[in-house]
Amino acid sequence: MFILPFVVFCLILLLYPVIYSLTLSFRQATVETFVSGDMPFNGLTQYQAAIADPVFWRAVVNTLLFAFFSILFQFSIGFLLALQFQADFPLKNFCLALLLIPWVSPVLTAANIFKGLFNETGPINQMFHSIGLGPFAWLAEPAYAFPATIVANIWIGFPFNFILLYAGMRSIPVELYEAAKIDGARFWKRVGYITLPLLKPVSVAVLTLGTIYTVKVFDLVWIMTGGGPANGTHLLSTYAYQVGFSVLNFGEAAAIATLMVLLVLLLNLAQLVLQRK
Amino acid sequence: MKSHTKLKLRFRWLILLGSALTGLGLVNSPAEVTTVEIVHYFSVQGQIDALNQLQKDFEAANPDIKIHYTYVPFGELVSRTLQMAAVHKPPGISAIDNPDVLRVAKAGILKDISAAVAKIQVWDDVYPGPKAAVTDGSKVYGMPIGSNSLALYYSKKLLTDAGVSAPPQTWDQLTETASKTTKSPVYGIAFSAVNTEEATWQWEPFLWSNGGSLTDLSSKDAQVALQLWVDWVKKGYASKDVVNWNQGDVPNQFIGGSAATMVMGPWQLANVKKSGVDFGIVTIPVPKEGSKPVVPLGGEVWCVLKGDSKVEEAAVKFIQFTQEPERLRKICDTFNYISSIRSVAKQQGEANPELKPFVDQMDTARARSQDGGAKYPDISLAARTAIQRALTGQASVEDALKDAAEKIKSILAK
Repeated sequence: MFILPFVVFCLILLLYPVIYSLTLSFRQATVETFVSGDMPFNGLTQYQAAIADPVFWRAVVNTLLFAFFSILFQFSIGFLLALQFQADFPLKNFCLALLLIPWVSPVLTAANIFKGLFNETGPINQMFHSIGLGPFAWLAEPAYAFPATIVANIWIGFPFNFILLYAGMRSIPVELYEAAKIDGARFWKRVGYITLPLLKPVSVAVLTLGTIYTVKVFDLVWIMTGGGPANGTHLLSTYAYQVGFSVLNFGEAAAIATLMVLLVLLLNLAQLVLQRK
Repeated sequence: MKSHTKLKLRFRWLILLGSALTGLGLVNSPAEVTTVEIVHYFSVQGQIDALNQLQKDFEAANPDIKIHYTYVPFGELVSRTLQMAAVHKPPGISAIDNPDVLRVAKAGILKDISAAVAKIQVWDDVYPGPKAAVTDGSKVYGMPIGSNSLALYYSKKLLTDAGVSAPPQTWDQLTETASKTTKSPVYGIAFSAVNTEEATWQWEPFLWSNGGSLTDLSSKDAQVALQLWVDWVKKGYASKDVVNWNQGDVPNQFIGGSAATMVMGPWQLANVKKSGVDFGIVTIPVPKEGSKPVVPLGGEVWCVLKGDSKVEEAAVKFIQFTQEPERLRKICDTFNYISSIRSVAKQQGEANPELKPFVDQMDTARARSQDGGAKYPDISLAARTAIQRALTGQASVEDALKDAAEKIKSILAK
């Protein structure tokens, strides 16, 4: 009886947009047809147009690299920090609060700050200059701009990894470590044989969420580079936005968005399979 | 809590009083009030004040019409307008960015107001550029609110220090000025070549003044115009970061003293003035002495949407109201726009010498949609990709433009 509102909510607010977007991707939805409402079905035309553009493939590769390196560093930094925080040290709670700043600061702010940091005359180049290197055109050279956006994303995302892993580690019984210590296991052995295996469920959740979070990143890259220079930093999300709202080809943008969702599903599936093994 | 109840009570009294008066026939309320919804993306305080004043004046003069403004973010105006029209709830007026007007018109949702504008006295006095932006054959799809464009700001101090006696008027002089004023950490020139419409828009003054067109980017004229930009970056007269600077970043460089000149529009005048930089403005330098600067037009257009005939009529009335010269002058002044009407623009130029270069350029200024019509946004995207590839050294000027030209050819053939 009380399930009805929930079902209605799901249908209207969740399922309908997904299905609408999906059907849109099979229709010729441009400015003209969108208003008249006829938007004829034309099968896979939108998908063909999308994959025929080299920028699309650039965006696919970028999205994968972006996700891989972001998660790799976010997870490792988060993990090492969580290990550190298992021990007691002065100002621990203060540091804990500090670490959450990147996570609670709005992406809009963070992106603009990173844009300033990576400026040709910005602090990062001044740092390099003081050791006799540079200046590098961080955001103006496609080869640097892409890693620069990844660095920014790692900064934004690692506290999330840290806090979940930290909580996960605290739930591991202390007795296990004490027993291992008595048996003569050194620190890294204890990490390898106790922490890692017992942390697996948490890690799986962190990695799955991390994948979703990084594949859907949009604002950060849009503000830092707008997908440029020379389309070098486009992710699928920024590319779909450009096709949809700058070129106003809604059908093709929906097709790109659908492919993006498929990519997330595939990645998560691959993770599940790997973790089962 | 207490004051709240009081307020409610007073309100009830008002209603009672109102209905009593109406009943007695003392208040001559109009039979029906038509509401005109206006969708726009103006968010600067001065612009909002101007809009509110306009509403007040118009409603006072037309008690049977109400104006209702709806704010929409810049990037969403076109899609929102289309959406509203698609569900048969079109706004009365949409203030559309001029390069998008013909494209939206192609969707068949804009009303042809040629009969109405013919009645507006000033129509014949509208500059050819803004006219082209709203005209398709014999059809007229809107009335420009006002125009803006690009000119060259220069820092008097940085130029004098570098021994440049007069602001540049030709490309050679501009390059020379840039080379002389470039001295770490100061760059000779700043412009925006970011991966948005801003890049194409900022390059167009150079492309068009050189006789080129976006529809034929493989031409020699286009190559020379892009080579000019590429050389500035290569020689270090302009920062490599130009490919990442939007039009908000560029004035910051200029105000901060890291750029001796910049390509910028009149909307930044107030900002630059406030900063205390001793600056001057000249028309966009041209390829050769004596040639005319051709700059792209910015600015929005009042467009009437097809819908209820009463609302349409009221919307047209509103647009006509905005075009009365004195009122128009006031709107444009607060918007920091140049009026699209010659006689009004000339007055603005005389009253404000800083606006004069922008006014002087209006005669030869072009609407962006004159390159490719409704397909301008697609074409512009291809062009800016070429600009960015060439500036970052991903491709030579020739190759980058050749690729873009091919892409544009296929867009035009569709």
